Amino acid sequence: MDFTYTPAEEAFRSSLRAWLVDALPQGWGESVFEPEDEDERAMFRLDWERKLHAGGWSGINWPTEYGGRGATLVERAIFAEEMARARAPEGINIIGHNLAGPTILRHGTQAQKKRFLPPIIASQEVWCQGFSEPNAGSDLASVRTRAQRRGDKFIVNGQKIWTSFAQYSHWCFALVRTDPDAPKHKGLSFLLIDMKSPGISIRPLRQISGECEFNETFFDDVEVPAENIVGDVNDGWRIAMTTLAYERGPEDGLARQVRFKQELDKLLGMLDTQAGHHRSIDNAAIRQKLARSITEVEVMRLNALRTFSKYLNGEDRGPDASIIKLYWSHAAQNMYENAMDALGPTAPIAGGDPLSAAGGRFQLSYLQSKAFTIYSGSSEIQRNIIGERMLGLPR
Amino acid sequence: MNFGFDEDQKSLGDTVAQMLGDFPALTAPDPADARDAAVWSGLAELGLFALLVPEEHGGAGLALVDVALAVEALGAGLAPFTVATTLIATDLIVRYGTDRQKSAWLPRIAAGQLRIAVAMLEQGRGYDPADVETSVSGNMIGGRKILVPDAVDADLFLTLALVDAEPALVMVERNARGVALRPHADIDPSSGFCELILEGASLTDCAIIGHKFSDAPVQRLIDLGAALHAGMMMGIAARMLDTSVDYARTRVQFGQPIGAFQSIKHRCADMAVAVEAGRSAAYYAVWAVSEDAPDHARASSMAKAYCGEIARRACNEAIQIHGGMGFTWELGLHRFLRRSKVIEHAFGDEAWHYERVIADTLAGQANASDHGRAAA
Repeated sequence: MDFTYTPAEEAFRSSLRAWLVDALPQGWGESVFEPEDEDERAMFRLDWERKLHAGGWSGINWPTEYGGRGATLVERAIFAEEMARARAPEGINIIGHNLAGPTILRHGTQAQKKRFLPPIIASQEVWCQGFSEPNAGSDLASVRTRAQRRGDKFIVNGQKIWTSFAQYSHWCFALVRTDPDAPKHKGLSFLLIDMKSPGISIRPLRQISGECEFNETFFDDVEVPAENIVGDVNDGWRIAMTTLAYERGPEDGLARQVRFKQELDKLLGMLDTQAGHHRSIDNAAIRQKLARSITEVEVMRLNALRTFSKYLNGEDRGPDASIIKLYWSHAAQNMYENAMDALGPTAPIAGGDPLSAAGGRFQLSYLQSKAFTIYSGSSEIQRNIIGERMLGLPR
Repeated sequence: MNFGFDEDQKSLGDTVAQMLGDFPALTAPDPADARDAAVWSGLAELGLFALLVPEEHGGAGLALVDVALAVEALGAGLAPFTVATTLIATDLIVRYGTDRQKSAWLPRIAAGQLRIAVAMLEQGRGYDPADVETSVSGNMIGGRKILVPDAVDADLFLTLALVDAEPALVMVERNARGVALRPHADIDPSSGFCELILEGASLTDCAIIGHKFSDAPVQRLIDLGAALHAGMMMGIAARMLDTSVDYARTRVQFGQPIGAFQSIKHRCADMAVAVEAGRSAAYYAVWAVSEDAPDHARASSMAKAYCGEIARRACNEAIQIHGGMGFTWELGLHRFLRRSKVIEHAFGDEAWHYERVIADTLAGQANASDHGRAAA
């Protein structure tokens, strides 16, 4: 066990740190923040991703032949730490970087890797995920969106739902039914679909936070070139499991931990500099809750590092991804509950009101956090996976 | 960066676990039967007590992190407390002892000839190390210490006491004049808890450890105790998970193993997540204390508070999943519940450690923003 870094890793850290000082706007995180409007914020985040790429800080541990930096998982962890430290903005092509990219890298053809990976790394092409359907949520293998082979094309018909960032996306990877007569897991394929294709329409869905990050996506006789299948026809379930392992895995967990740590630090800083005689930061019960959340956010990071080390020591990716996801989702929800508790009487005052704390970010995050235990596999599904595949309990 | 154990570290953990498994009395239902002198000699033959002793004093010169998995096994196997507290005392003597203290104690520790119990708490006082009445004057020590584990078997008591009005670590010999023990009635009789009564007890002239290091030895005792006891609680939690899963796989009700029911399966899954999370916290804390990393106090407090909650829940869940059997004396799950509760309250409880975490975090934030202003 060793938490020290090699000179090469330290050099990676200091060059990233220096780059961030120049790249972030003057006063970032103190007086300068992200735009409040949802679309403007999306474009701001896209610009930031492209800036990261221009600086050579995208696709950190992806192979250099596809435009990545070719760095190690350890450097990827350092990258996350430094992004947290600098309070750097999030990106918008999260699904491209964390899901589409690793899946194509693992299962794609040489031609697919060459075609799709460099524009993901450059955030020239933003991706969305076409998995869930109105009648295929936790029971993902029951998707009904059909893809029928016609000549050198698949013709896709159906509906996907909860498609985050579809409105900004150039591409969508989708789980579609290619054989309706086969058992449900054995008739699925994994297609890469150009969002500009005729026949695709999207309708925004409003979330409990009031935002419209996700959408319904409709496919009406959409033509997809046959070469855009990843893996074999009817082998899509296996490919999708890789996607899910990355969606729930330690890289994703660590990137999220960065956000949670930033928000928790912000909250603590704000509470600690408040004036008055009845400050919540002086309340013993609140202090206990905050200390527990500080601990859980640190454990999120340690969980990711432990899992990275397993991979580096040659272990396979397995159901441990479900442990990562189940842990961070509940710990983060709890952290936002604690944040609301700590805000005391003004907790209900949201962004837009001059009296709101930190521009209302905690109220917004509190509402957003309710999705954590539902998306990328609900907690109930994660518990089934852990119980059956890790602990060997009967189905 | 590598957050994993090497083969030697893993194999030591396995060996200690196996050896403790050879003593079924340790985890047998009746805690009164759980004290077996052969356990200590077995661990000594294994060389456990020599591991942290430097080579020049007859040991292996290993680091604390090398024994992390062995400590987890001590927890899972309900080993006597003095095993862990002797390892803790070894670290303190190696780090802060004078040459004379080292030559007096370390070779005997390495040979398994010295059992060292830790005496910290006093009636009506909290966990704060300055909050003690026991004090040293001249070559005598007076005061009463409560909840000293395995006191009846101990040769030495590493005692928290005031020296010149400051908390310090003082080694008291069991056989010294003025030392008496009164066994407690307590929830875990296998812990061997006693009140240590010091009435002008005589000290040798090298009894005080690391007095010239100010409060560092006392702080380190707390950090070491917190980190290693967090590790022991993870041993208990992991064992409760394994036991529950085994039972859920085989116990049949309504025509199927109860582990097929999501109400049971999901409890087991949540325990598995908690065990992994607690291990992350405990292993990191042991490493941080071992390496004296800048965040070692915070890391050990996080681990102690958090692993306490996890172990407590794991014991509760295990009893619930075993149903009526879980509540029987003869199944013996109560042994883990009792031990876990006792460890939870040793070396600082959840509330005390979380307060340390928040205070340390806020102080760190204030420092960081001072640095920020200075840089700007």
